[in-house]
Amino acid sequence: MLQHTLGRLSRALLPAPVLAVVLAASLAAPVPARADVDDWPMLHAAVFQNRDIIEGDGVVIIDAPAQADDGALVPITVRVPPEVKGPLKSLTIVLDKNPVPVVAQLHFGPAAGEGGERRFSTRIRVDSFSHIRAVVETEDGKLHMTKGFIAAAGGCAAMNAKDPTAEAEGMGKMIVKTFPPALDSTPIWEGQVMLKHPNFSGYQINPNTGEMIEARFLEKMTVKRDGELVFTLDGTPSISANPYFRFTFGRGENNDLDVTMKDTDGTVFQAESKPSGS
Amino acid sequence: MTENTRNPRFAPLGPPLTRADVLKGMGALACLPLAQSWLVRPSAAATAPDAPEMAVEEIAPGVYVHHGRYELQSPENLGDMANTAFIVGDDAVAVIDTSGTAIAGKAFRERIREITDKPIRYVINTHMHPDHVLGNVAFKDDDPEFVAHKNMKAGLEVRAETYLASSERMMGKAAMEGTEIVLPTREISAKEVLDLGNRKLVLEPQPTAHTNNDLIITDEKTGTLFLGDLLFSKHIPTLDGSVLGWLPLIEKLHGRKAARVVPGHGPVSMDMPESLNDEQRYWTVVTDDIREIIADNGTLEEAVKSAGYSEKDKWKLFDVYHRRNVTAAFAELEWE
Repeated sequence: MLQHTLGRLSRALLPAPVLAVVLAASLAAPVPARADVDDWPMLHAAVFQNRDIIEGDGVVIIDAPAQADDGALVPITVRVPPEVKGPLKSLTIVLDKNPVPVVAQLHFGPAAGEGGERRFSTRIRVDSFSHIRAVVETEDGKLHMTKGFIAAAGGCAAMNAKDPTAEAEGMGKMIVKTFPPALDSTPIWEGQVMLKHPNFSGYQINPNTGEMIEARFLEKMTVKRDGELVFTLDGTPSISANPYFRFTFGRGENNDLDVTMKDTDGTVFQAESKPSGS
Repeated sequence: MTENTRNPRFAPLGPPLTRADVLKGMGALACLPLAQSWLVRPSAAATAPDAPEMAVEEIAPGVYVHHGRYELQSPENLGDMANTAFIVGDDAVAVIDTSGTAIAGKAFRERIREITDKPIRYVINTHMHPDHVLGNVAFKDDDPEFVAHKNMKAGLEVRAETYLASSERMMGKAAMEGTEIVLPTREISAKEVLDLGNRKLVLEPQPTAHTNNDLIITDEKTGTLFLGDLLFSKHIPTLDGSVLGWLPLIEKLHGRKAARVVPGHGPVSMDMPESLNDEQRYWTVVTDDIREIIADNGTLEEAVKSAGYSEKDKWKLFDVYHRRNVTAAFAELEWE
């Protein structure tokens, strides 16, 4: 089964479909992690087709807490320092020991910006002690990776809302914000997107029926600035409930952000931020 | 191809799990890898640990309370980290919370039996947390009604596996001997009265605050109010529900009269409303600090580093729980 799965994965290309394939494989044959096994070789093959990856060269940095305060809500920030020139092609975040190890994959567009520090922050579910990796593909097609280690406990149970009734009622509320830089001349702005959504992994139980709650999570997010693509994001249930993203984008004419999110049920959520008031 | 010998941690997507599977921990949703393969085992785990004393104090005629320790679960304390109580009526006994393991619950039951042999008709849980419910099993043979807020059954079921796994991780296998989840058999959805024989207990389910299943109990005879974890004293409050629900609830409780109040964690008998002041201050400071950070477009990471630290020296176990409290409160407040 695993052989077949990896065979399928190795034929997948890096852009968007790979995430769906990895995800499908994970959900179809969910084999959880043993702490003493190094999962990276398998993930390197499945997610990156064993391509060369340069590790720790400073092209990408990850801020993640060594000890998670709440395994279901672990904030991480990926940073690409200003010295790194040229547009980025993609960013992939991997949590080795998670049931769904690929956390998210971003593909950048012309409005992603450069000329300053580039950042992407989100909150993730960490199932147990694991390496976290951020892999960036630069313009020249090279892959660069940084890794950290997160100690977490109980990431699964806390996947469930503290007040399921309240959660269900608020679902679908979406907030988009933009933050201009201190200096007008800075070519990088920052945006933030939040969605009230349970992001069910498919591994939680409905206490009333004893059956598994069907997976329902953010599958795709598209962010545009003044109609130009900043990035698309392929999501997985390793992103925390009420998905939160903060990211840099390239300064434009109006800096109006338009964000569309789609979950696995096909439900679409959309919101915008118009700092220009246009 | 790399041979990847991962252990099954999830059931393959096949026939749905039943509640029985979940409660027996049949590995289906064992979100945590089980303890045996790699976690550091507490050295005391080899032989059966000594049961905690679970001493009780009669704080009012017929009302007995055990003072839980201000500690995290450990192999030595067997989960004795919350206050438990019992009330003796003419005909029957009601237990309020049962501590954090079967062994602790059993020891507590022995204290009850040293005082009365009246039938234990009710085991009431103030809320779902493991240090308040894992001793329920010690009372099964009394065939009581297990009474709780109507939301507790679902809340506990969904967390059962994780509570058992993390309790074992903290206390070791020997300490967890005999511990299993016992779900409520009687759900309280509105104010309800239980009679122990010339002794009425008034049960009132609360809106989401500490958890979404907080239940308070009043012993009419002595005017003793049991607030469960709606009241913390000395031990840092913890948030697993809604801080925006808890603060107004504290305001409301300020207006209540009671001869004495029993917190879920703290001295066994306290005064109303003064006992509420410390936790009210804590949550107010945390909320105010977080709101300021949010108004400044600050992040969760920033809040965890800086919100509420003026409270640091005022609470036991601050270093264990405060950051988690800030995380939970931030995730709630950012939607305001």
